[in-house]
Amino acid sequence: MTRTYRWALYIVLLAVVLTMLSPILWLVSTSLKSPAEMASFPPSWWPQAPRLANYTDAISQVNFLGAAQNSLTIAFISTTLTTLSSAWVGFGFARLTAPGKKQLFVVLLATMMLPGIVTLVPTYLIFAKLHMVNTYWPWVAWGLGGSAFLIFLFRQFFAGIPREMEEAAIIDGCGYVGIFWRIFLPQSWPVIAASVILSFTHAWGDFVGPAMFLSQDSTTLAVAMATGYVNDKGLPLNNLVAAGAVMYVLPVLILFLFMQRRFVSGFSTSGIK
Amino acid sequence: MSSALTDVRRSTVAEAAVERPDRKKKPPTLRKARTFYLFVAPWVLGFVGLTVFPLGYAFWLSLTDSDGLSPRTHFVGFQNYIDIFHDPLTLSSLAKTGMFALVTVPLSILAGLLLAVMVNQPIRARGLFRALIYLPAVVPPVGAALTFRLIFDRDAGAANGILSTLGANPITWLVDPNARYVLYALVLWGCGGSMIISLAGLQDIPRELLEAAQVDGASYWQSFTRITVPLLSPVILFQVITGMIGSLQSFAPLLLSSGSLSGAGAVPQGNYLYMIHVFAQYFSASRFGYASAMLWLLFAVILLVTLLIIKVSARTVFYTVEPEGSK
Repeated sequence: MTRTYRWALYIVLLAVVLTMLSPILWLVSTSLKSPAEMASFPPSWWPQAPRLANYTDAISQVNFLGAAQNSLTIAFISTTLTTLSSAWVGFGFARLTAPGKKQLFVVLLATMMLPGIVTLVPTYLIFAKLHMVNTYWPWVAWGLGGSAFLIFLFRQFFAGIPREMEEAAIIDGCGYVGIFWRIFLPQSWPVIAASVILSFTHAWGDFVGPAMFLSQDSTTLAVAMATGYVNDKGLPLNNLVAAGAVMYVLPVLILFLFMQRRFVSGFSTSGIK
Repeated sequence: MSSALTDVRRSTVAEAAVERPDRKKKPPTLRKARTFYLFVAPWVLGFVGLTVFPLGYAFWLSLTDSDGLSPRTHFVGFQNYIDIFHDPLTLSSLAKTGMFALVTVPLSILAGLLLAVMVNQPIRARGLFRALIYLPAVVPPVGAALTFRLIFDRDAGAANGILSTLGANPITWLVDPNARYVLYALVLWGCGGSMIISLAGLQDIPRELLEAAQVDGASYWQSFTRITVPLLSPVILFQVITGMIGSLQSFAPLLLSSGSLSGAGAVPQGNYLYMIHVFAQYFSASRFGYASAMLWLLFAVILLVTLLIIKVSARTVFYTVEPEGSK
């Protein structure tokens, strides 16, 4: 690589990074502006006197803490159940054989291609019939069903563990449940980490699920953020929108910055081919 | 390659060794089969209960005039499906959705591929570049939509701030006909997701191949188009398929405008995507039968598009043949 080429690459990448980060910077800047500054045109790039009170206002305006608690509960339910269930099913596909297994595995892979939102609406109608709307039971059900993608990740990992491990355990009188629980699951922490991150960010970010299944006062942050910050005339309070959005997005960004490697490995191509 | 061979040999030896003690107990295959079904049961039950059954239920609804509330519903046959093709609003929303997918999917993949090639070069701090470019892709959809709403706000937004420093008049971004460009920008902001997938694909390409091409005097462009792109084609195909599935059922403009499932009225016409119309039919108009028919039509369209892409790509996508059992 020549020197000029290298420098050109750095400049282009730097410009890309700045472009990608500028929306977040604008969000933070807006979140610190006073109502007077919001009203002036053209807008200032950075607030003259940063107004931190926007953050406390944003918390009291929409019952932020209540919604955050609901988000956390749902994220906790989905994350633990989805991860455990996906590992359990993935173990079955990796380590056991039965007639029909191949066909089932093809079905599993095919479900990754199913349009999720298309099935979500009728699922809502069924849960409504069962009077399970405005409860967390739908998330329990989804969690127990596992995620096709995560099942696949666990299967790939478990399939790579040497057979001798399992055989030694069988000779020692250990059943498959014990083998899964005591030998395979503890070894699979890289996949568990990826699974926890993926299911947490998904549950935290999900909008349609809570918007459909939960009422306005028991809803999650995602829904509260999208609708909550309006004045009595129905106009958006943009500085509060920004402050709320910063607090809503921050946990995910922190999780990402600390664990980027896991984020990335969760999306790696193993299996695309 | 040789390790795969020895693995196979070792495992058959191990199998032979444990076969004898097993034979004295129950027939092993039957027991193993039962255990297999015990393990996959949660997913099978979930798939049947939360996917197959709801889809079936929606299909049944689509043959009725249900409004979701009144107990008396009438079987109307395929009338709802016929109505779809006489409803200009539904048809135009389908066309807009197709347009949206045809613009955003190739653009995201192309941008992601270009970025992946750049951050795959041996440069300093490339891990940091990768992380920062990928960062927007992990911002939750609602957060991203709100951010873009603020950037393109007519009075308080950065976009008009830039225009006014350049001496230009402010633009009303969030209404027709400009709202669609805000939507495209919102989608493209997340192209880091595509970059990560393409990057993983690039890293899977054996270095020897590229080095051999270089020795043979191939230019960078030649080895890119003749080696990198063909070897990357399964990864690109994967992105085309998942991207199409995702954008055909996108309702992102709803988040950009009102943030409520029944707020379809606030969405600018240019961004009135199919799924938004479905939500409006369910949650505002209570036309459950018609909306269910719309869902099934979308489901059929997505299946057809997926199969079509796979069919068309069969000749152009290049799969490396790997030995059975290797990762």
